[in-house]
Amino acid sequence: MNHSSNEKEPETIEPLRYLSKSEVATVETELLRDYRFGQQQLIEIWGHACAIAITKAFPLSSLSKKQPTLLVVCGPEQNGSIGLVCARHLRMFEYEPTIFYPKRSPQSLHQDFTVQCEKMDIPFLSYLPTEVQLLNDAYNLVIDAILGPETDHKEVKEPYAGMLVTLKQVKIPIVSVDVPSGWDVDEPAKDGINPEVLISLTAPKKCATGFSGKHFLAGRFLPYDIQKKYELNLPEFPGTECVIEL
Amino acid sequence: MLGVRALFGIGLLVTSRGGSVLTHTGACARIASNIYSKDLTHRQVCTMANTIKYLGQEEAQHIDEELFNEYSFSVDQLMELAGLSCATAVSKGYPLQSLLKSPPRVLVICGPGNNGGDGLVCARHLKLFGYEPSVLYPKRPSKQLFQNLTTQCEKMDISFLTEMPEADVIDEVYNFVVDAIFGFSFKGAVREPFGDILSQLKKISVPVASVDIPSGWDVENGCPDGIQPDMLISLTAPKKAAHHFKGRYHFLGGRFVPPALEQKYQLNLPQYPGTDCVYQLN
Repeated sequence: MNHSSNEKEPETIEPLRYLSKSEVATVETELLRDYRFGQQQLIEIWGHACAIAITKAFPLSSLSKKQPTLLVVCGPEQNGSIGLVCARHLRMFEYEPTIFYPKRSPQSLHQDFTVQCEKMDIPFLSYLPTEVQLLNDAYNLVIDAILGPETDHKEVKEPYAGMLVTLKQVKIPIVSVDVPSGWDVDEPAKDGINPEVLISLTAPKKCATGFSGKHFLAGRFLPYDIQKKYELNLPEFPGTECVIEL
Repeated sequence: MLGVRALFGIGLLVTSRGGSVLTHTGACARIASNIYSKDLTHRQVCTMANTIKYLGQEEAQHIDEELFNEYSFSVDQLMELAGLSCATAVSKGYPLQSLLKSPPRVLVICGPGNNGGDGLVCARHLKLFGYEPSVLYPKRPSKQLFQNLTTQCEKMDISFLTEMPEADVIDEVYNFVVDAIFGFSFKGAVREPFGDILSQLKKISVPVASVDIPSGWDVENGCPDGIQPDMLISLTAPKKAAHHFKGRYHFLGGRFVPPALEQKYQLNLPQYPGTDCVYQLN
């Protein structure tokens, strides 16, 4: 009989599923192996949808600084590449991204994304200042594309551990791509970074259950068979949109 | 008060334009802010003073090559964005609620090259948007990319026809046809089975939406007795043939042109609304 003020009426009969780390890996393997999606194709889809979600969370007109600057921090693996594609689309959407990409993936697939950003004249920082005030003053927000569900959260090496310490102290909003970096995919982190916005890709992860900030689902491409197989119960995207606020 | 200027001044920024430019405190702030503000003002000036450029065939091919060679885009990346633009344009011109036939069947005809690949991606997104596409893909290239795109469609329960339906069957069954047969590389004679396909398309009364170039048209001069599509979705930039387009809807799609490339070829692209991947030109 207790109704908390936060409780929403369910819009669908079946609730949206939050995936575990192993389920995320299984779904992705199936997409690549059985459904023959290409990895660059998926990263493009995710990065594009991510950028659109960011424009919904922080429309150009809502930014407080004179220039629509934002900092995109990219890790070494897929999550980082998604960040690169996201930065490129944000540039197309008239934002002014700056990228910090300290450890670049050696895979040529990911290197292409770097060149694409460089050729869009997107600046790359050579190091992340530890003086947080510099970041607060220069950028409207930070996009956290450091670590994704593929990383082992227990083994966060340098320079990422240090970067996360810095990010925990910024006053400007953090937008995390897919999973807040440093969090366990299956459980929210008690002392991890605290993003204002989370953009879950494809389907939300278990650690996002009860996420108190703005939560978006981005990426509209999942074949219906996979949706049924994993009982994802994804919400209906409006019209031709590829992002929905959860 | 430290800001972006300070970051530039400390020499933290390295751009593709060369690190040496950014060693001076005052200069870098100005140069760096120019990187962004110049492009925006340039675009505003261009759309006010000039109209969008219509490309010749060679120019279109050069731009394509540059996108892949210098800008390092992959075909599957750009094809995904192009196909999404096509599906989005089609949804705007022929919204689900407006369709006369139920179920919302659509015929997507895919040719033997990249235009066909765009069509496959378009079909997949149309399915996700709630349409019921069927694909006719009579000549499939051996490249892995096209096989993958085909599998992606098949796995979305998109049916592949074995032969081109007659014009009257198309009119009865489908709400509209997406023509993804030939694109901007098309030259010379139309090989079968596409000759027959195009003559059927000339007889149908349901609308045809052409991807990039109405198939069979000369890429620069058009084709007075060729198909007359209702919609044209120009990708990247319109080609000269589009001057001869007389249909109701002309959309621009393929929102991925880097500002530097746009400037180099003086494309004078319009400002797409918000995050839309299509712009209605007429």
